[in-house]
Amino acid sequence: MTISDYLVTDDLTVLLGFIGVSVFLLQNLYKPQPLVHPILLGRQSDAGRVRNPGESAIYRNYGTGLMGRFPVRPDKDVNVATDFVKPEFDAPRTLWSTKITNTQLKARVSAFGSGIAKLVPEDSIVLILLNDCIEFIITDLALSEQSIASITLSSPKLLARVLEMHPPNAIITDKTFLPHVLAATGDAHERNHTLIVVDWSQPSEIPIHSWDAIESQGKVPQAPKNAPQPGSAYTVSFFETPSGGVQCVQLSHENFTSGVTAIKALFPSAINISTLDTIVSSHSLSTPYGRAIAYAALFEGASFATLPSTGIFHDGDTPALDVADILSATKFPIPSPTVLFLKPEHVQSLTSSVIDRAKKSFLFPLAWRHKFASLTEGFVTKDSLWDRTVFGSAREDVLGKMADTVKAVVISGGLLPSDALVPARLALSIPLINTYAHGSATGPLFATHAFDLQMLPSSSPATEAAHVGAPSVNVEIKLINVKDNVVEQGADPIGEILVRGPSVGNMLSADGEAGEKNAWVHTGKTARVMTNGAFKVLGSV
Amino acid sequence: MAYTLDFSTPVNSALLIYILFSVQKIIFPSTSTPKAIPTEFKHGYSWMPKEHPPTVLFKTYTPKTLEPFDGKSGGRILLAINGIVFDVTAGRNFYGPDGMYGNFAGRDASRGMAKQSFDLDMLTAIDQPLDKLQDLRPDEIENMKGWIDHFSNKYIICGKLVDNDAA
Repeated sequence: MTISDYLVTDDLTVLLGFIGVSVFLLQNLYKPQPLVHPILLGRQSDAGRVRNPGESAIYRNYGTGLMGRFPVRPDKDVNVATDFVKPEFDAPRTLWSTKITNTQLKARVSAFGSGIAKLVPEDSIVLILLNDCIEFIITDLALSEQSIASITLSSPKLLARVLEMHPPNAIITDKTFLPHVLAATGDAHERNHTLIVVDWSQPSEIPIHSWDAIESQGKVPQAPKNAPQPGSAYTVSFFETPSGGVQCVQLSHENFTSGVTAIKALFPSAINISTLDTIVSSHSLSTPYGRAIAYAALFEGASFATLPSTGIFHDGDTPALDVADILSATKFPIPSPTVLFLKPEHVQSLTSSVIDRAKKSFLFPLAWRHKFASLTEGFVTKDSLWDRTVFGSAREDVLGKMADTVKAVVISGGLLPSDALVPARLALSIPLINTYAHGSATGPLFATHAFDLQMLPSSSPATEAAHVGAPSVNVEIKLINVKDNVVEQGADPIGEILVRGPSVGNMLSADGEAGEKNAWVHTGKTARVMTNGAFKVLGSV
Repeated sequence: MAYTLDFSTPVNSALLIYILFSVQKIIFPSTSTPKAIPTEFKHGYSWMPKEHPPTVLFKTYTPKTLEPFDGKSGGRILLAINGIVFDVTAGRNFYGPDGMYGNFAGRDASRGMAKQSFDLDMLTAIDQPLDKLQDLRPDEIENMKGWIDHFSNKYIICGKLVDNDAA
């Protein structure tokens, strides 16, 4: 047989050749484009060129740069907290159960402010012990406008200590927590503060003012004596450290405007927050970060609600952080939620529910395989063929109407295990932004790029948490207690996180003395920097 | 007209095998992740750079420990003004051995910067205490501060200079 006998071609060859060429083109050219170019993920933070011995270099977000100024306000006219309620924007939106326009909200805020200014002396301290509700927002904005200091607690266990160290002139609480407050404040004749209770209508022997009565007393608004300044502190937040100690941080208007700027910066322009959005948060308004999320929703004109698990002041156990908690947001008359600020436990519970539902379909192994393959290329979408057949219906079974409208999930308030990240990305198929927040800052300290889908196995044997990305746009981070000899060899610096920036408040010492302005805050957490500038939070010091 | 469809010819078999193999890869895509993380973005989406960006450790220098950094053996070039040590390796053309201002490499250049002179008599000997700069006029001190600003913007501050016995 000669060569030409081997290479005999016929019509079938033409047909097969045609099919072969099209299959080849399909395989090589039909690769999905990554949502963000991988070159950007290789340099997420800008590192300083010099470092002090025992410390790492100073890291900032790559977009801000080491020489850049930190963005402090989301818009040029937003200087104080009440500026978050833009008067020129007039469409109504729903906050928890109240449908309200910005003008009505501003009116209520100044009414309550005037009312309470008549009730308590100037330079007084008001303790707010409310669960998240619209009264909290109105109270907070009114007190900030009148420059009356307020105190919030992240846990009811701190109540006794705060009452002792900083006796307030007024306490605002609700009906269910009132007995605890009365018990904690002791006998009637020792009580030299005013009690204001939300939803209070019955007469009582102890002088208790109703929240609504104060608001109606202030219907003739009285302008505040001094206009609030952006740099002046107006609220103090007490929070617990992991070791059980108590820390308190003083926050100013500028801290909150910076926090809102940082929260807005989490969302790239393709998925940014606008008036069409509804934000649901699992972070309590008594924490700076939770309050900044609420202010961000207020500023953008979005509807807002919080999950029942944010309630701090209540009897009984906290509700579990799971899918039922997320679904209870739908009982408020808000439009279907579009952006969820959840804790890692919520996301893990949601992921396992969706995957359990999806496994019932016989196409699940194939769908999983295809979605995983496109994830390795950096691409994921909610509208692929596999979502329409397998995952979409699973999400709808678990989340109901929310499955269609949710466009992004921000994870904070804990460490997400790294083995939960890929299942979560595949099951939810929407941008998951992993962030790290701390009780001393109004904005997140670290945040991943919204479209970052990298799967980086841990280089250390112990299972680390998923990485939390680069420092936020308006903070700078450095690590201390770093081993110099290890770092000089080129290994990753590991040390305690120190943070500084306009969204970080002023930490007060144990006896209430303010520290110096813009000092480095010790967060008490260890982290590791990776070569691409992303951080992994490892645990407490 | 009859079409000839012969699957047993070598060319047809080869093409058929190729087509079946590719279709199998399309329907069942590979889900293996590489064992080693790629260090170039071209080699994979989930990549990490090989090294951290270079950082310099802030050190305390004395005139004796600063002197070797004059660039003569191709190493770093350091220069001190008013106790601040700058890494001027990027300006090898000026401060290197054959540069115009090479005299200042590895030395305390405060007096020379103040008096705008590059003569050797502006430098203090290495084993002497640091130049106190007490006899400089106010405008010379201003000039020196201007040079410190210029150097801070252009080069890296990588240390401080103290006396030989103070380290």
